[in-house]
Amino acid sequence: MQPRRHVLSTMSAALIASMCVVGAANAEVGVTDTEIKIGALGVLTGPLAKYGNTVYDGIETVYEEANKSGGIHGRQLVYVREDDRCQAAEAVGAAKKLIHQHKVFMIHGGACSNASLAAKPEIVATKVPWVITASTAPSLTDPVTPHIFTTMLAGWMESYAQVQYAVEKGMKRVAIIAQHDNWGRSRYDPLLEAFKLHGIEPVANEEIVPDPADATAIALRIQAAKADAVILITFPKAAVVAVRDMYKVGYKPFMIGGSTVGDVGLFTKNVGIPGATDNLHAVSTIGYAADDPAVAKWKKLVEAKYSGDTFNIYHMFGIASGQFVVEALRKAGKDLTRDSFNKAASNLSVNTDVYGGPITCTPTNHQCHNTAAWFGLVDGTTKRLATTTVTR
Amino acid sequence: MLAYLLMSGIATGALYAMVAIGLVLVYRSTGHINFSHGELFMFGGFIAYTFFVILGVPYFLSLILAVIGGFVLGVLSDRAVYRPLIKAPPLTMVLATVGFSFFLKGIARYFWGSMEGGDYVAFPAAMDPSPIPIGSIMVFPQQLLILAGAIVFVVGFTIFFRMTRAGKMMQATSENPTAAYLSGIRVERVYTLTWGAGSAIAAAAAVLMAPMTLLSPDVGFQLLLKAFAATVLGGLGSMPGAIVGGLLVGILESLGGGYVHSGVQDVSAFIVIIVVLVVRPAGLFGVRNIRDT
Repeated sequence: MQPRRHVLSTMSAALIASMCVVGAANAEVGVTDTEIKIGALGVLTGPLAKYGNTVYDGIETVYEEANKSGGIHGRQLVYVREDDRCQAAEAVGAAKKLIHQHKVFMIHGGACSNASLAAKPEIVATKVPWVITASTAPSLTDPVTPHIFTTMLAGWMESYAQVQYAVEKGMKRVAIIAQHDNWGRSRYDPLLEAFKLHGIEPVANEEIVPDPADATAIALRIQAAKADAVILITFPKAAVVAVRDMYKVGYKPFMIGGSTVGDVGLFTKNVGIPGATDNLHAVSTIGYAADDPAVAKWKKLVEAKYSGDTFNIYHMFGIASGQFVVEALRKAGKDLTRDSFNKAASNLSVNTDVYGGPITCTPTNHQCHNTAAWFGLVDGTTKRLATTTVTR
Repeated sequence: MLAYLLMSGIATGALYAMVAIGLVLVYRSTGHINFSHGELFMFGGFIAYTFFVILGVPYFLSLILAVIGGFVLGVLSDRAVYRPLIKAPPLTMVLATVGFSFFLKGIARYFWGSMEGGDYVAFPAAMDPSPIPIGSIMVFPQQLLILAGAIVFVVGFTIFFRMTRAGKMMQATSENPTAAYLSGIRVERVYTLTWGAGSAIAAAAAVLMAPMTLLSPDVGFQLLLKAFAATVLGGLGSMPGAIVGGLLVGILESLGGGYVHSGVQDVSAFIVIIVVLVVRPAGLFGVRNIRDT
């Protein structure tokens, strides 16, 4: 009996030990009983730092609200930021640092598309869940990678929405003013595709630089083409000069702006000429103007937490994305794993407080946001005028 | 159409001319191209923004303060960066000016770059910005102000060079630094004055232009390129050449953009540089025997 008892106790000990080992192996990276560590990958320094930091300030505000109400299944969300400086080479290093050094559960961020595209192979190789907040390159989520999702409109969607909106408004002669730099091309090429799909030709197709001193020539050319609508694919600076010069030459077409002028109130202030933006409708990823009472709660929270911030659309990118991630984490359950998160996020629709439509992911579509909202001035204040669900 | 294009071309060209004058001033005195000139322009604009928008100082007083601020910045840049390198090879000076341009851009981005949520700020017009009729065309009052400002500064600089002792010393130094030194002119002090004056006129141009566009830390580079094209066209080192060159570049851009294609508008300055370098390397008013100090 003695040897048998010895064998039995040895086997029991081995079983307990192996269960401990298996248990340890199952503990998910970046998740403890008290916290979930999430990494932010994005531009934190350099010329575009404000855009990156502002988005992450929005995310962190949502996380903080979730933490205040007890966290996600009792776990606090911890957000670690790493700087990609909007550069491809830096993004790879930042992603590696988040994954291997900080050992985050998931990555929540990504602003500059070139940087995000560069980081993608590392993230794909390590199968870390990634919810993209602001990058617009469609190839980040198309074709679908099971653990990569985006809560931002893809670059082509804005362009498609602009043409769709012109058609819906009954515009027959549509002109284009576009930047032809890398940023501009990512919207200009899909814009031409959308024109073709609708079977129309632009009556004028004008190029503008990001920093023009004058756009009188462009205004006159479009006026001569008798365009009844003008689609703008420009940064705000170029749009200001173009809109002013069109007004100067007495030409007042219907103007269809991109998301860069989506804050129509701010843009109008920048143009500075009363009446010059009366015919401007601009597309936006977000669903509310920054001063809309519907988002006042978030404005108050953000501006209280980050004293240097003025609440704007970039905060709202972060807030919408943050609300989606919080909901996906909740749905993934107490036994949180990367697989359970991916499964939850792939079958989730969230009506956020700041977008014009739901963020909806399905197993076959991880381009989870496709509702463009239209803004214009109504009685001097920026109002949402319509929404467009964008399809290719 | 022609009247509109000419008016716009002249107004824009006047700005290029003002920036080009600063470039030529420094080049004539020191033999160096100041690659941070665009950023001195930008910085002058932000100094004016601080006075005009943030502190509520009237526009014209802000302009004067920006010019003074620009002058001080030019003097400081000479003392801190350029004077220690005065005998260094030209390439070292090129690198120093490029480096200084990045430094200024960084400072501007830190203090003003995100004041309105983006990387730019709006600079309100000095007067009602609505266009007014001039003959058969409409113009912005700010365009007229640019023209008036450019004339005032060009005339002012001409008087300064011809009538004042400091101006004459600068001219003498640019003609022959060694002879100037031997005749008792403190050449290094003249260089300092030159950097300051170049920077001051760039600041004035920025304050005139800012209400027409938005102000951002990156605004200087584009202007530097256009001003450089103007100096090449007019003749590197020639003050009248800088003025004529600036106006011609502005008009060519406008006409090219209007009659050929908008895509031509921005590259026309570079086409000008290439054509001039091939056909008439000395430029329209080329100055020969530029001395390298």
